[in-house]
Formats: sequence, structure tokens, C-alpha cells
Amino acid sequence: MRFLYQASQVYLAFARKSFQKQMQYRVANLAGLITNFFFLLVYVFVYTAFYAVYTGPQPLNLDEVITYFVLCQSFFMLMPFWGARSEITSAIKDGSVALQLTKPVDFQTYWFTDEFGKACYYLLMRGLPTFLISIFFFKVAIPQQPTVLIAFAVSMVLSILMSAAITITIFSSAFWTLDTTGISGISYSIIFLFSGMLVPIALWPEWLAHIARWLPFEGLIDVPFSIYLGKITGINIWIAISKQMAWNLFFVGLGRFLLNRGFSRLVIQGG
Amino acid sequence: MHHLSLYFHFVKLRIRSQMEYRLSFLFELFAQASISVMDFFMIALLFNRFKQLAGWSLWEVGFLYGIVGICFAVAEMVGRGFDVFQRNVVRGGFDTMLVRPLGTFYQVFAHEFLLRRVGRIAQAVVVLLIANSQLTIPWSFAKVGYLFVTLMSGTCFFIGLFVIGATSCFWTVQSIEIINIFTNGGVFMGSYPFSIYRWWFRHFFTFIIPLACVNYFPSLFLLGKVGSSGVSPIGVQLAPFAGFLFLGITMLFWRWGVLRYQSTGH
Repeated sequence: MRFLYQASQVYLAFARKSFQKQMQYRVANLAGLITNFFFLLVYVFVYTAFYAVYTGPQPLNLDEVITYFVLCQSFFMLMPFWGARSEITSAIKDGSVALQLTKPVDFQTYWFTDEFGKACYYLLMRGLPTFLISIFFFKVAIPQQPTVLIAFAVSMVLSILMSAAITITIFSSAFWTLDTTGISGISYSIIFLFSGMLVPIALWPEWLAHIARWLPFEGLIDVPFSIYLGKITGINIWIAISKQMAWNLFFVGLGRFLLNRGFSRLVIQGG
Repeated sequence: MHHLSLYFHFVKLRIRSQMEYRLSFLFELFAQASISVMDFFMIALLFNRFKQLAGWSLWEVGFLYGIVGICFAVAEMVGRGFDVFQRNVVRGGFDTMLVRPLGTFYQVFAHEFLLRRVGRIAQAVVVLLIANSQLTIPWSFAKVGYLFVTLMSGTCFFIGLFVIGATSCFWTVQSIEIINIFTNGGVFMGSYPFSIYRWWFRHFFTFIIPLACVNYFPSLFLLGKVGSSGVSPIGVQLAPFAGFLFLGITMLFWRWGVLRYQSTGH
């Protein structure tokens, strides 16, 4: 028990450091906030124009779509789209990974806590403001039932965890290529598409939505937001959340496997 | 002439250094293309469900998308030096440029060349070609010339944005990321007809930041949509020159910024 307590203290300290590091970039965060808003505005214009001419029934109405994109922009920085999170790559590229390996901590857990610190930061400093300001400008739906909110919170936590696991997995490919901009770009485009970031999966044609349901990435965006919008209910919430958990385990396992393989062939760069 | 041959020499060096990470280079070439393919795929998905957007069909929008995509990708390839200029200021590297017997604008311009953007250019060209084959545009010699000028001018427009971003580093040291709204955001919003935006949004992106002149006005002209859009026909004829003018103004801004440069040391 005592050991566990001590270990958690160490990892918490890492998370805190990562949080504080982000705090340094206040102007950048403000710029990011404005950028989030700009994109949100364009999404709203585009979807409003699409819905204006199409009168038939749709799986999501315009207000629901707008709420969906408000959530997308609020949680954007917590998603594994962000190519700039390449500290793992640069650690491998410039050789400072050697220093990290001498520390008596688990490498993957270390990066997890790092991501966790960042996630807390972006939740507080980016997500919350984006969401709160949006409420004033757009018709944002807020779920009334507490069970929906709880289910959404659980699903969102799983989404953020999976995002971290995916990020670590992608960047551990630096052991093989050193420069991960390519591989993260390819994964980025696949994740962007199949998470439902650009178009909610409910609006996709049947065959493509079917593919998305078999992939893990809907768990990042579409699943939690559909729960929020009340589109996934009852027993389906349990199924969706179990699926998210299973994919989480998969990515943590895959990341571990890749890291272990990577260490066994690691050549320290630089000096 | 000397400048030009020197430029190509720099470009050759840049390409050679990027080829050092060959596997990564190929990956990124592919990644660049795949990101933009996904982009357009999503637009296609929306049209599959909603059929049309403010009177524009999928391939008319594809035409818009292709033009802005090409302009931006070419600008990123050749104007990369301004895009990453902030690290020169942070590390004081700009000091060395000041003592060399060449103009600073030229040096920064020739400093970088991002070959991997070829992937993105190719994707945009393909979309434009498919769009053209799906639409029946009565091409004439004048229209081809118009398109060519449009592409050149649009590229200048985006380079101009990078120049503004780089120049602001003279004051802020770190680059102001707000410029991303106009570059990446510009490509995103430029992929849709401007008529869907609110008037203040439209006017801002016509008269202050002339994004509408990059692809919307030219597409109106080339697709024969000027009459139904309510845009003045003379404005549409002049639109392709806005990008050149914009770059010219940003170059003056650059000059002014250089005069105010204070080194960070080293």
C-alpha cells in the first residue's frame, strides 16, 4: 500500500509539472481559443446553409448539430489530432530519452501522467471557456437528466484516456522512423474522419457508418457526444461504454508492446 | 539572374536535407495527401445527404476547393521560410541574415523549401481536374489565362499571410498563432461558397483579408455564376489581382518591421 501511495505521489508530481508547463503559454492559449471559435463559427455557417435548403427529416436537427460542434471545439485539444504533442519524438530524436530511462518510473505511465496534466489544463483553460461562451452565442442543448450527464462524463473520461493512449502509441513509432510527422499525419487523418470530427456519424451513409462502428475512433468524439445529445440511451449506453473500455485496453497494450520493442532496438541519438 | 540561380541552389540543398529521412519523407508525402483527401471526402459526404449548398453542386464546390487547396499548398511549399521564421528570431539567427549582402526578404524566402507539400498540391490538382470534367466549363484562351493568374495571385495571398505572421515576430518574438485562422482557417472556409456566410464575415474576408478573391470570385466567373450571385462583374475581373496587391503591402510591412528589429542576443 505504502509503495502504491509513494508511486502515485511521484506520478501526480509529473502531472502537475505538465500542467504548469502549459500554464506558461497564456497568449498561445488565448489565440487557440479564438481559433476554436473561428472554426466553430464556420461549421455553424456551413451546416446552417445545408439545413436551410433541405427540408426532409434528418437524424440530427440543426440545433443538435450545432451542440455537437460546440462540444467538438471544446474538447478539440484533448483529442489525439494535435501534431504538436511530439515531446516523445523529440526525446528520442535528440537523445534525451536516455535520461528518462534512467529514472525509476515506468515510461508509458510517465507519458500518461504527462498527457493527464495537459488534459486537465485544456479542460479548464480551453474546453470550459469555449463551452461557456458558446452558450451565449448559440442554442446549445444541455441534458436535463443527471443519468445522461453521468454517462457522458464516464464516456468522456474514457475518450480522453484513449486519446492519450493513441498519442503515446503513435509517437512511439519514432523508435523506427525518428521523425513522426508523416505517421502522425496519416493517423491524424484516419482518426479525424472516423471519430466524427468533421461530420457526425449519424449523418453518414449507412455503409460508411457501419465501418466506423467497428473502429475504435468513434469512441473519441461521436460516442460521448451522442450520449450527451440523448441519441444513445438505455442498454446501448452500457454497450458503448464497454466498447470504449475494451479499445482503451487495446491501445494501452499496443503502446506497451511497441515501447518494449522500441527499447530493445533503441540507439541513443546525439550526445 | 544571380538571385534566381542562387535560389535554386538553396532549394536543391533544402530538398537534399529533407531526403535524409527518406522513409519519413514518403510517409509525410502520403500523409499530406491523405489529410486533404479526407477533407474533401467529408464535403462529399455532406453533399450526399443534403444534395446542394446555397445553389452550389458538389463539383462546383470541388472547383472552389481545388483552387484554394493548390494556392495554399504551393504557398506553404515556397513560403515556408516565413512560416517558421519565429525560430530565427528566438535564437537570434536573423542577426546573421542582416550582415549578409542580400535583402532580408529574399533570404528568408530562400531559406526553406518544403518539398513534401507536393502531396497536398497533387490532391488539390486532382480534385480540380475531376471537378472540371464533371462540369461543362466553356474554356477559352482568356479563361485559362484568368485561372493561371488566379492561382498565382492566390499563392501570393497566402505567402502574404505568412509574411504578416513572420513580421509580427519582430515585436512578439514568438509567432502569433492567430495567423492560423487565416491560413488553415482560410482554406477551410474558402472551401465553401462565400454566400453562406453572414455579411460582416463576408466583408471582412473580402476587403480586409481578401480571401474571397482567391477562389470565390474567380470561380463565379469561370463557372458562369456571376449573374446570380449579385457580385459586380468588374469586381470579379479585378479579383485575381488582389493577392499580388496583398503580398506587396505585406512586403512593405516586412520592411518596416525589419527596421524595428531588436535582437534577442547571442
